[in-house]
Order: sequence, then structure tokens, then C-alpha cells
Amino acid sequence: MQLSINPADARPLYVQIMDEVRRARVLGTLRPDDALPSVRQLAAELRVNPNTVAQAYRELERDGVVYVRRGQGTFIAEAQVDGTARGILARGVAERALLDAHRHGLGAGELIEAIRALAREPATSNPGEP
Amino acid sequence: MASVLPLRLDESPFVVAAHGLEKRFGRQRALAGLELQVPEGAVYVLVGPNGAGKTTALKLLLDLLPADGGRAEVFGLDPYRAGPAVRARVGYVPERHDWGYGWMRVGRLLRHHATYFPAWDAAYAERLAHAFGIDPDRRVGQLSKGQARRVHLLMAMAHRPPLLLLDEPTDGLDPLARDATLGLLAEHLADAPTTVLISTHLVHEVERLADHVGVLRDGRLSAQLPLAMLHCGLRRYRADVPEDWAGAAGLNGAVLRRAGLGREIQWSVWGEEAEVVRQLAASGATVRDVAPLPLEDAVLALLSRKE
Repeated sequence: MQLSINPADARPLYVQIMDEVRRARVLGTLRPDDALPSVRQLAAELRVNPNTVAQAYRELERDGVVYVRRGQGTFIAEAQVDGTARGILARGVAERALLDAHRHGLGAGELIEAIRALAREPATSNPGEP
Repeated sequence: MASVLPLRLDESPFVVAAHGLEKRFGRQRALAGLELQVPEGAVYVLVGPNGAGKTTALKLLLDLLPADGGRAEVFGLDPYRAGPAVRARVGYVPERHDWGYGWMRVGRLLRHHATYFPAWDAAYAERLAHAFGIDPDRRVGQLSKGQARRVHLLMAMAHRPPLLLLDEPTDGLDPLARDATLGLLAEHLADAPTTVLISTHLVHEVERLADHVGVLRDGRLSAQLPLAMLHCGLRRYRADVPEDWAGAAGLNGAVLRRAGLGREIQWSVWGEEAEVVRQLAASGATVRDVAPLPLEDAVLALLSRKE
């Protein structure tokens, strides 16, 4: 599993880690009962404070995305009600796009129209539905 | 809404504290009433421009320099009275490398250094030496700046002290060595509870590890707070303003930085977001977006604030 974070991103680091785990689960690179790296391992890999990783894992556990088996580590939980994780992920992407649109003086309607138009184009940059 | 930047933490116990610390060099005032609070287990970054007093502050905490006023506290001890006891529990990376052991080989220096620390972990020292690419046969006086920094990091970390004082720890390291160092520090923190005080003017190099920040200007702190609080409390607002806009009088004192292009103005403001937006809207500005600042920009905003 390759998680990537970026300090210049507006989201706090622990939120970025949470989003990355959610993303890996939606993409299927992490499946139910797969082990997450230990806090120590992921902190060393990402060069972040171990407390940041621990916080991300704690909140993921609270959200039911992962579960902890004492002494053994943190594991991906069974998928919740279908679509929840995808929904959260989609919402996050939409939020960032909307923010960017506002920044450029565009309204939600214009953004949605542009996305629709883009999705219709058979462009190479559009991989289509997953 | 005049804003007051936070200067006090409420997360005691503090492993390091400074109470009105003063230091003069001739007529130069290096520290002018420093009030520092480093909570137990924190990774605290002390940032500030060159000459702000960062190095002096760290030296006073170890009694490597005597204070001219105020008092420091490390593990509840006064470094001035209990210097050796304090230094025995601290891993220190100095800003400069005045070895005095230039003729020694690195391996011998490390063995010499180890004898001062009963808790020296030889196996860990070995692992760090390998990870840092330290050659024990080199003469200390011939080390480059970056190599010397790594030797110091090893000496500071290998006895697993409860407190690390790191003065510009990444200065002189090439990008690869810097990256490796941050990974080793992250591992170090995961393995043993450690409080870390890092002084730097390159905040982006250590920001992934940090959880607290103190902004030092002219010998005193102009802000001291957890990063999570900085993330919430300091935001950048972009807004379009009408022709002949008179300004947002309600924001006086809270604006740290302001820049504009044409009719769009950008403010970095410390304060509650809803209140700032209300003030901007009341003044006739159309708020376009509000975003938290990356740490480096936040520090720049704090540093550029006019007192």
C-alpha cells in the first residue's frame, strides 16, 4: 500500500491519512481484514509524528473503517452499508472541486455543467466509469 | 475584533519552561523576556528569523550560557543550579560544531561520548551510524557540515534521552540525508516517549513531525500554540471589493498580512472564521474563499505582523 500525503494540502495530515486509507479501500488495494502498517512503520515511512498516525487510526476506528485487534494491529473492517465509503470519498472530491470553482469565481451549476460536458467527451484524459 | 495571538499553552506538565528569560551580548539584547512552554511529549518547533535568539535560548536551557535575568526550567530543574543533571537527560544537537576533538576519529569520539551516558544503547547507535552513513574511521576535524550534523544527531539520540534539543537539525543535510533523518526521528518518537524542541528557520523541513509552534522575534515569542489551533484560527480570506472600498474597520488588529491584485484582496486573519466573514461582508466585500494556510505561510504571516 502506498499512502501519499502533502503538507501543502489544506487538510490536516491526519485527515489526509484517513482519506488515503478510505481511497485504498474503495480502490480495493486494501480489502477487509488486510492489516494496516503499524503506527511506527507508517510514521517512519511518511516522516510524520507517530501521534498523527495514531490519531488517524483512532478516528478511522471510530468511523468503522478499521478495527483494532489487541496486540496484533489495525485491520480494514468489512465494508459498511454499501456505498458509504464511496460516498464520503466522492463528497471530499466534490468539496475540493467546489472550493476551487468558487476561488475562480464559478458557481456550482457551472462546475457541474463543465463536469458533465467533460464526462461526455471521449478524451484520453477521461478514463470513464471505474 | 482586535486579535490576541495565543502565548500560553494549557497542557502542563511542561518539560521545558522559560520565565522571562533575558540575555544580553554587550548592548545587543538576544532574549528579551522569553516565555517558553514545551509540553511533555510535544514536538515543538521554535521558528524565527536569523538572530531572533533561538540558539541562545537553547544554550540557556542547558546552562551552556548564563542568563542575565528570568529563569529556565527543564524537568522542573534550574539548569543554572543543576546543569549536569539536566544535560544528562538531554540529547543536544548544537548549531555549530566546535569539536575540540578534531584529531579524534569518529568511532573513538562516539565511544568517548558513550561513557557519559549510562543509558547509551550500543546496538541502536550502531543502527543509526549505519542509517546515517557515518564512517567511524574519519577524523572528526575533517567532517563536512552535514556529516558532523549526523554524528551529533547520533550522539543525541543513542542514549534515548527524554528530551531532545535540536538546533537547526537539518541544516547542511542534503535532501536524501534530511529525508532519512526525519524517518529516523519519527521511528525514535514511536519507540520511546520523547519531548522534542527543534529550532529552525526552515519550518517546512520539520513540519510533518511538529505539533506545536513558537514564533520567536527579537528575543521574545509573538505566538505559541498547538498546530491544530493555528490551523483553525489562522485563515486566508479572498474577497472582491467594490470601487472606493473603505476597508473593513472591524478587522483592525486581526489582519496579519494583506495582499491584493486589482479588486481582489487577500487577507491572512487570526480569528473565528464566521466572525471574520461577517466583518468582511458587512464592509461590502464579497468573500470568495476561505482556506487554512500551510504551516510555512502561517509562520510567514505571523512573522510579518507589525507589532
